Amino acid sequence: MDKYDITLIVNGRSSTVSVEPRKLLVDVLREDLGLKGTHIGCEHGVCGTCTVLLKGRSIRSCITFAVQADGAEIRTVEGLANGADLHPLQDEFWTKQGLQCGYCTPGMLMRACEIIEQNPDPSPEQVREGIASNLCRCTGYQFIIEAVCAAAGRMRGEEQRPDQATMPTEAKA
Amino acid sequence: MKPPPFRYAAPTSVEEVLDLLAANADAEPRVLAGGQSLVPLMNFRLAQPGFLVDLRLVEALTTLRTERDVLVIGAMVRQSAVERSPEVALAAPLLVEALGYVAHPPIRNSGTVGGSLAHADPSAELPAVALALDAELLTAGPSGTRTIPAAEFFRGPFTTALEPGEILTEVRIPRREGVGGYAFVEFARTHGNFALVGVAAVIEMEKDIVTGASITLSGVASTPVRAAAAERALAGTSADAATIEVAVDAAADELSPAGDLHGSTATRTDIARSCLRGGIQLALSRAQDRR
Amino acid sequence: MTTASRPAPPPIRTHKDGRNWVGKSIRRLEDPKFLRGRGGYIGDMTLPGMLHVAVLSSPYAHARITGINTDAALAAPGVHAVITGAQAAELTDPLPDFGPNPAAHTWRCLAVEKVRYVGEGVAVVVADSRYLAEDALALIDVEYEPLPPVVDPERALDEGAPLVHEDLGSNCAYERTFQFGEVDRDFADADVVITDRLRWRRSGGQPLETVGAIADFEVATGQLTVHTNSLSFTSYLFMVAGTLKIPANKLDIRPMPAGGSFGSKLFATKPAVIAAMCSRAVGRPVVYLEDRIDNISNCDHHGSDRVYDVQLALMRDGTMRSIKIDTVDDYGAYIQFGVGHHGNALAQVVGPYRIASVEYRVRAALTNKNQQGAYRGFGSEVNNWMLEQMVDKAARELGLDPVEIRRHNFIRDFPYFIPTGNVYDSGDYDGVLDKALKLAEYDHWRAEQVKAREEGRYIGIGLITAQERSVFSATEFWFWFDTPGAPVTSMPESVTLKVDATGGITATLYSCAFWGNSPETMVAQLVAEEFDCDPHDVSIVYQGSKNGLPATGPGGSRTTVMLAGAVEGATAKIKAKARRATGYMLEANPDDLEWVDGGYQVKGSPEARKTLAEIAVMLHLFKHSFPEDMESGLEESKVFDHPYTTMPSADRKDLGVFYPFMGHACHVPVIEVDIETGQVSFLSYAAVHDCGTLVNPRSLAGHIVGGTAQGIGTALYEEFVYDEEGQLLTSSYLDYLIPTAIEVPELKIGHHETPSPWTPHGIKGGGEGGRMMAPAAINVAVNDALAPLGVRLTELPMTPDRILAAIRAARESR
Repeated sequence: MDKYDITLIVNGRSSTVSVEPRKLLVDVLREDLGLKGTHIGCEHGVCGTCTVLLKGRSIRSCITFAVQADGAEIRTVEGLANGADLHPLQDEFWTKQGLQCGYCTPGMLMRACEIIEQNPDPSPEQVREGIASNLCRCTGYQFIIEAVCAAAGRMRGEEQRPDQATMPTEAKA
Repeated sequence: MKPPPFRYAAPTSVEEVLDLLAANADAEPRVLAGGQSLVPLMNFRLAQPGFLVDLRLVEALTTLRTERDVLVIGAMVRQSAVERSPEVALAAPLLVEALGYVAHPPIRNSGTVGGSLAHADPSAELPAVALALDAELLTAGPSGTRTIPAAEFFRGPFTTALEPGEILTEVRIPRREGVGGYAFVEFARTHGNFALVGVAAVIEMEKDIVTGASITLSGVASTPVRAAAAERALAGTSADAATIEVAVDAAADELSPAGDLHGSTATRTDIARSCLRGGIQLALSRAQDRR
Repeated sequence: MTTASRPAPPPIRTHKDGRNWVGKSIRRLEDPKFLRGRGGYIGDMTLPGMLHVAVLSSPYAHARITGINTDAALAAPGVHAVITGAQAAELTDPLPDFGPNPAAHTWRCLAVEKVRYVGEGVAVVVADSRYLAEDALALIDVEYEPLPPVVDPERALDEGAPLVHEDLGSNCAYERTFQFGEVDRDFADADVVITDRLRWRRSGGQPLETVGAIADFEVATGQLTVHTNSLSFTSYLFMVAGTLKIPANKLDIRPMPAGGSFGSKLFATKPAVIAAMCSRAVGRPVVYLEDRIDNISNCDHHGSDRVYDVQLALMRDGTMRSIKIDTVDDYGAYIQFGVGHHGNALAQVVGPYRIASVEYRVRAALTNKNQQGAYRGFGSEVNNWMLEQMVDKAARELGLDPVEIRRHNFIRDFPYFIPTGNVYDSGDYDGVLDKALKLAEYDHWRAEQVKAREEGRYIGIGLITAQERSVFSATEFWFWFDTPGAPVTSMPESVTLKVDATGGITATLYSCAFWGNSPETMVAQLVAEEFDCDPHDVSIVYQGSKNGLPATGPGGSRTTVMLAGAVEGATAKIKAKARRATGYMLEANPDDLEWVDGGYQVKGSPEARKTLAEIAVMLHLFKHSFPEDMESGLEESKVFDHPYTTMPSADRKDLGVFYPFMGHACHVPVIEVDIETGQVSFLSYAAVHDCGTLVNPRSLAGHIVGGTAQGIGTALYEEFVYDEEGQLLTSSYLDYLIPTAIEVPELKIGHHETPSPWTPHGIKGGGEGGRMMAPAAINVAVNDALAPLGVRLTELPMTPDRILAAIRAARESR
């Protein structure tokens, strides 16, 4: 099959790659651009592990052909941290233990990015409904919701970065 | 789960699209809108088009505008854009409410209104909404353009009135600004998954009397269907609780949804009853609030 | 075995007070790489020249393969090899199988002669990319002669049912009835016998990352390296080498982080064997990574699938006397782990209750489905559900309060030997229950329930108290048989600790890879506790199997306890050497030294002191400062064996101690059922767990919430549905329904800590508890809600369809 030259602007960096039209965006990100942070989970658009931001909006890169993204700006998990400094979402996911196996995490982080960008002050219920687009098999979602709310608070400048080493133990009943 | 190979083009005009479809008719060509239904089918290799015509660069299909009494939505307008549009919120709030049930935001960021209608999944929300709102679907094909009422567009599961080589270009929805109440309710087993049953309802009232009701269901037949018995039962009444039950029963009695692993015919009928009641009650309360 | 003849338990430990790091919710060591998308999963790894495998799977549940033509596939672009089942049977021997009589139900990496379930592999393609491999699959022409399928497990056991394995002569892979204690006497003495028939249908772990392996066979050396996200190879490496027909010392299996497992990646040998077979065939590195269809239909790790007939004998005051359990378990087409799932059940078969005797009959049925493997709980979660349904039904029929009937029967004296011979090490079931009632606002919800019923709403409160076994013994693999084939008794775990010349500590783990648990964090916290360092300064290395010390790997909630023992043992060796070295350095008697805050000092003279770094640099670089027999360096390993297991009795009336560290929990979900749609929604959910001493409370809380979410799936949503023809109807996530954030409520979590007397720090395992409890609790809650309608659900998952059918049936029977 013929290949098409497409240009993707990923995390601010423009790359031109030659791809078969059937090649899924997630595979181009992972194989052609070497960005392995975007994961493959179900390949039919349900689980959300492949979530990236296309023109600022979350999409499923496993049910998007790379040619459909020609010329577009894309953000992936690799673009979140600024060198050694984690993005507040990453930092809060770490502190709140909003991940266990880490596999859904990049997709969840990108979806959370969009949620906070659309609504800087989401309620826990809004975050819960928002992240319901993405499956997590480990956490039961609770600590993810806590992490997103805490990160939103920090991004609004309302909450301080917590103690890095320890968190208080769970409330004893 | 990788899609099979296909040839591809991304033209910029409807004419080019039609030419490409005609020229590649032997390759079982398909148009690619948002791809949110088609690409999963291709990943499963359940769909294997030999040629894909990508509509993303066809500007004429991206219009979202109001023409006098009609809201015009181009076939390539993304569902999330419709959902966020203040124009649509005024002209067709039922559509906005229903879009909230279409899968999840990341799907709606890519998925298009036209794509969902042309895909004609019997359990999908938008066909039922199009039917309830008496939408018209504009098509373009080798033999020119057509305007097809929603009631004639959906022919069966994943089957529409579109001819080979013909594409959907626009959806035209009569504006209902400030008229009556609306509601979309549905029952899905998990959030964002395909619904077992959906109900779209538009109810107009004058002086506490129902003057018009348009109620449709998804998921209960091979196409979206009108709950005509319920509409008749409500018309001309004050729609008190007893009348609503009569309307719900009348509509449910006409249903015989096919059973599957998620629900038998009896279960789906029970759920349809609940959705009908919920939809009618919510639309009525909004109609009453309007007065 | 009588009480008097039981071997004495190990000595009671005294646990350290004032721990610095064990018990702190530190941030996990593992997380930064995952947060940056640099997890290094199997799919992220690429070797030079690596090729890709896709598996052609059977569309039939049961069919004879009468011909395969691979010519067109071989000629397709980018294809390097096509291997059929028959060819694979020449390249490889049968897969490792712990089941009874494996020769009678031979399991291979690809089907030979006939297929036994939808999804079973019949051929593989090796190609330049996964895309091209899948293209070629479509070109393989397989001729099938369909055979009648057998789908229902009870029908499978009928005379004349189609045979899944002709060599077995029936579809019953295992049958035995065990009696523990005086069952007949206890039933005769009882006032009432509550009976029920219960059905638990199959679900599975469904991690978001599938199972995969990269194999690299070096033809020059005969060395095979396999990178895989499956686990537990170290102790059973020789079995995989046998399947591949290579010497075990030529095989190195290297653990990769797993994107979730929940049991389902436990010793998943098939992907590794397929990748290795293909690599050897083409002479290049090869990756086989399941796609989602493969994983749903062919992962060899579907969960339990049981029919129960149960009789619970009680006195009228609620005192439980005895229980008879008769279960048929649908194992699918193969039975790789035998009936180990029932060993897990027998470890805690009486729950937290003083039930004096038990009869347990198990029949393992083979059917035309993908086989069972491991799924969080490994059968104990099913037993908890069965027992709690029986207790709940008993309370209803006897008119007793559901809290009081449980409290009335609680075990309170520990250690407590249950009738099967297993021991419960410690517990405080009243303490957990009291906490849970308070946390759940139980009385408030009972009042709300009364009000709701008056309004025609159906609110239910599901209270269950149940067990959470941890740290299995290998004896549970074979105590099923009078003359077992391989009566192994080892299940060690190992750690190497190395203190470098600067005092930095590196811990090496064997067979224990990361799969969403946190072995690195646990080990770092335990090391920090021993050496008074910051756990985030501890470095962790995973070793491949070839250079590995004995290690069994995760499973049965054993990791933290076993790693703690290994860390403790390695630490003791390091400290002994360091103490002796310090003696020379300070010219002091080693016996006069004490470990204080990261170094040794002379008792009473804290100024005479050497830190670990000072000691380490001397040991690494200054040989002549020490006597001749002092070896350079400061590195020690510990192979830690299970701290407490005993052998079963010859007559199997006592199975010995095989799962001694017994956690406990009380779950209290409050739900509402919409009786018109059958929808179940949560109003509240409280869970209190006692897993002994906590290492990282927030991690445990995360496992409780996550396990509960999976339990919610099991209770309400998830089922692998096979129709009468054996077609798998739930082959995608559109039909196999995993709960989203909307379906999972916010949990209120309470911890209770009753240390084990026999483990380091008193730790018990806790990774599986949420899923062991939630299905039972939610079923009780739904039945509590629907009791006014005379409806009782006895089948999981409780889908809207099943709930509405039960409501309709109850209405019709009135």
